[in-house]
Amino acid sequence: MLNETVYIVDDDPSVREGLDSLLRSAGYETHCFASPREFQLHRRADTPSCLVLDVRMPGASGLDFQVELAHADDAIPIIFLTGHGDVPMSVRAMRAGAIEFLLKPFREQDLLDAIRLAIERDRTRRESATVDSELNQRLNTLTAREREVMALVSTGLLNKQIAGELGLSEVTVKVHRGQVMRKMQAATLADLIRMSDRLGLSVK
Amino acid sequence: MRRWLARYSIDMPLLWLGIALSSLLIFVADTLTNFEIAFAVLYVAVILLSARAGRPRAVIAVGISCGLLTVLSYALTRYGNPDSGLTNGALSLLAIVTTTYFAYRSETAEASTRETQADLARMARITSIGELATSIAHEVSQPLTAIVANANAAMRWLAADPPRQDEAKQALNRVVADAARAGEVIGRVRQLVARVPPSKVEVDMIDVIEETLALTRGEMVRHGIVLRTDLADHLPAIVGDRVQLQQVVLNFVVNAMEATQKSEEKEVLVSAAADERKITVSVRDTGIGVPSDVADQVFEAFYTTKSTGIGMGLAISRSIIEAHGGTIYVAPNYPHGAAFGFTLPIASRAEDRSRVE
Repeated sequence: MLNETVYIVDDDPSVREGLDSLLRSAGYETHCFASPREFQLHRRADTPSCLVLDVRMPGASGLDFQVELAHADDAIPIIFLTGHGDVPMSVRAMRAGAIEFLLKPFREQDLLDAIRLAIERDRTRRESATVDSELNQRLNTLTAREREVMALVSTGLLNKQIAGELGLSEVTVKVHRGQVMRKMQAATLADLIRMSDRLGLSVK
Repeated sequence: MRRWLARYSIDMPLLWLGIALSSLLIFVADTLTNFEIAFAVLYVAVILLSARAGRPRAVIAVGISCGLLTVLSYALTRYGNPDSGLTNGALSLLAIVTTTYFAYRSETAEASTRETQADLARMARITSIGELATSIAHEVSQPLTAIVANANAAMRWLAADPPRQDEAKQALNRVVADAARAGEVIGRVRQLVARVPPSKVEVDMIDVIEETLALTRGEMVRHGIVLRTDLADHLPAIVGDRVQLQQVVLNFVVNAMEATQKSEEKEVLVSAAADERKITVSVRDTGIGVPSDVADQVFEAFYTTKSTGIGMGLAISRSIIEAHGGTIYVAPNYPHGAAFGFTLPIASRAEDRSRVE
């Protein structure tokens, strides 16, 4: 199993140590940081992970840091902790995609539930990112003609229609189609259509 | 005198320019006209004008200046009958003196009202600001968060297979340290609430009550609350901190007023009586009352029924009364409402000395 990692960013050393011990005892790998800057300088491992972030910290506030991460296309799931949460603040954090907004002192179970959810979400995100990149790699092995054929097949056209559309013989289309199925590692036509959808392939 | 006139004139330049100009005009007119024309009486207007500056001493200064100018005019005037001039001058002086006196008195009273209001505002700030509560909440929630996390961690480390006693021990050590830190925060709050050691002077509670009622009377009238008092003619003095005791009475009265907000019959009765050993002060209202099952909790910190309260008022009141060697209580009022009260031991000479030491 991959090491699930929780990054803890809180300027209060006691809170940091407490969270660190608790999350390690719950089986997570942890890394603690006193500020968002420190966290950014850290080279993260490529494992399902989430960020436990204090809202009120000297320097950048947790909410601002959330925005910064979003701008940097960093999709790590965030759980906010706050000593004095008000409703607008939590609404803002949740709208921006936070997993949970916990008021200190929180219940252990609430934190662990939130972390499990965050890690799961990160895992799914990573898996789908992996799938995407693999599909893209396969797509890149197709020739331009094969790509056209794939796009047209995916719209549900018959070989004969595709041949007409591209000005090819039906046999040639069949050959291209076989190549596409092989290169894309699609077992069935349904598989291929799903892949086209995922890749956003469309007929020009 | 001129120096503070100069200083005041910086505060309210137009007012003082007006005063100077009108004095000059009156002076010129008084000097140039016959003795029979008592222009000097108009100085009264100048004095009343000066009262607007809100400085009792300035009123006196203006009064004296006007008097001197009147005398000077008398000496300089060339026309008319000097006898009528003397009579007119004396009358003007009398008017000036009386006006100055009354203006001075009302100014002094107003100044002290302003001061009391400022004191009250300060008190209100201390007892009711949400900011204080928020900051305390934050200061306490940090170590508390750490305690919760560490304690849970310790349990998990011990329940692990094999148990990790080393980790559990470290977590528990942190629990102890964080608990101490939370305790320090509480200690600081206590110091904040009682920053100055209470003064120990002889206090007449009747005075304290009457001052408090004077401050709240306007508010009561505005809310249609009938205030009744049943105060003993004379109460033996008690020893304590006047401001703190006033804070307790004010707290009771304000609570009573708020409790009667929704009652049809709005009545607050403040009473004070004494026996040989103690005096008892109580504030009864016809408000919503205190259910008997929560009567024990109302004096605890953070207990509140008000949407905007932070539940510190009665808790602080209790600590004040107990620091004075008294007791605080709540009882139902008949037929409805609540009675809040406290008793304070009567000062005896021997006790005074031991307390001061």
